[in-house]
Amino acid sequence: MIYLDSAATTLLKPATVEHAVIRAMRMYASPGRGGHMPSLGAASVVYDCREAAAKLFHVESPENIVFTFNATHALNIAINSLVHHGARVLVSGFEHNSVTRPLNALNADIVRCGTFLYDTKRTLDDFKANIRDADLVVCTHVSNVFGYILPVYEIGQMCRENNVPFIVDASQSAGILELDVGKLGADFVCMPGHKGLMGPQGTGILICSSKARPLLYGGTGSDSISQQMPEYLPERLEAGTHNVCGIAGLKAGIEYVAQNGCDSIFRHEMKLMNIMIQRLMYEKVKLFYSEHKNQCPVLSCVFDGIDCEEMAYRLGQMDICVRSGLHCAPYAHESAGTLNTGTVRMSFSPFLTEDQVLSAADNIKQIINNA
Amino acid sequence: MTQYLIMCTSLTNAQRSQKLLEKAGINTSIVKAPQGLNTLGCGYSLSLYSGISEAVSLLRNNNMLKGKIFMRTPNTDYKEVNL
Repeated sequence: MIYLDSAATTLLKPATVEHAVIRAMRMYASPGRGGHMPSLGAASVVYDCREAAAKLFHVESPENIVFTFNATHALNIAINSLVHHGARVLVSGFEHNSVTRPLNALNADIVRCGTFLYDTKRTLDDFKANIRDADLVVCTHVSNVFGYILPVYEIGQMCRENNVPFIVDASQSAGILELDVGKLGADFVCMPGHKGLMGPQGTGILICSSKARPLLYGGTGSDSISQQMPEYLPERLEAGTHNVCGIAGLKAGIEYVAQNGCDSIFRHEMKLMNIMIQRLMYEKVKLFYSEHKNQCPVLSCVFDGIDCEEMAYRLGQMDICVRSGLHCAPYAHESAGTLNTGTVRMSFSPFLTEDQVLSAADNIKQIINNA
Repeated sequence: MTQYLIMCTSLTNAQRSQKLLEKAGINTSIVKAPQGLNTLGCGYSLSLYSGISEAVSLLRNNNMLKGKIFMRTPNTDYKEVNL
């Protein structure tokens, strides 16, 4: 199998992740629910994962690392904490439905800024023109469809200057790009554990720099007489038993990223993406990529005369895994002019080899030539 | 042997405090707080048998001392102490 869908979930993980999950399943119980070793062991691995994440993302206190079930869960907490009915919310033209659906559910007045693919300057100008009347800015760090790196540090600075809260969706950047939450200055940063951080599915992280409203209410193993959720983090946002096995795996994944370095992972994946581009650039296909420094290793394509679903199906028959369609990001496709066609998306991984990418490219060319 | 309990606001607070003290060479265990000492119900505390003054000072200096401190000897029940 050649797996080119790491932007959805990294299927290929470090062996340490699998070992950590199995160990947790065998040895750990519910953290914060007892004083016995299986409970304290679970608590220990959960805390160590908080520490590892805090270190990787330059967060001062591990208590500000909140575990969620995925990035969508984290984004829902963040958005529900900051958005009121009718709030004017600036978003980029490349947001995922995990941002726009919660905003629509809250009847927010959504203003799209920066609908220009790979045009950083126009994106910034657009945010600047609209920020004064904004109640909130939500921006993805990297487009999940086109790999476009948005200027979130500059947008964060703009938000601070105008006292506008800021939420960053780091779903595609966490584990791939260096992320300094202190410099970003965002109120909330949301990310999945199962993509670039190499953890299992069912894991996510919400980094909190502002007061959050719980989305789930229930037991936290502490202050049990009180009928209110605790005021302090992370317990305030972590009702119910944690996904301990997942978090144990996530810890191993984060350690892998920390040991290898985001920069090294990024360079490897970009090299693979560039090989794919070189192989396909003279074929009957439109490739979406930037030659500037605002490109992450996610490659979208539209093939002449072949529907994206058809291409993905045929590749699937060859045991080559890609993602086709709208990728839950209709705004991004509208911005890039691909809403009617969708795209075939290829994304890469530290465990993918050059030979595998060359083989996938040859198979794609074969499908194009036979069409 | 005298046991000291430092009450913590949460399990995470207890864990972070334990790590801080560990770095300073002060060994502690995380234990569930006795119900009689915790007015809010379930909670966690740090148990230690030596280095209590240094521990309290370190936690206080790092703004991490959030709860009361209790001591117990083999012959007495828990009683609150001010350090």
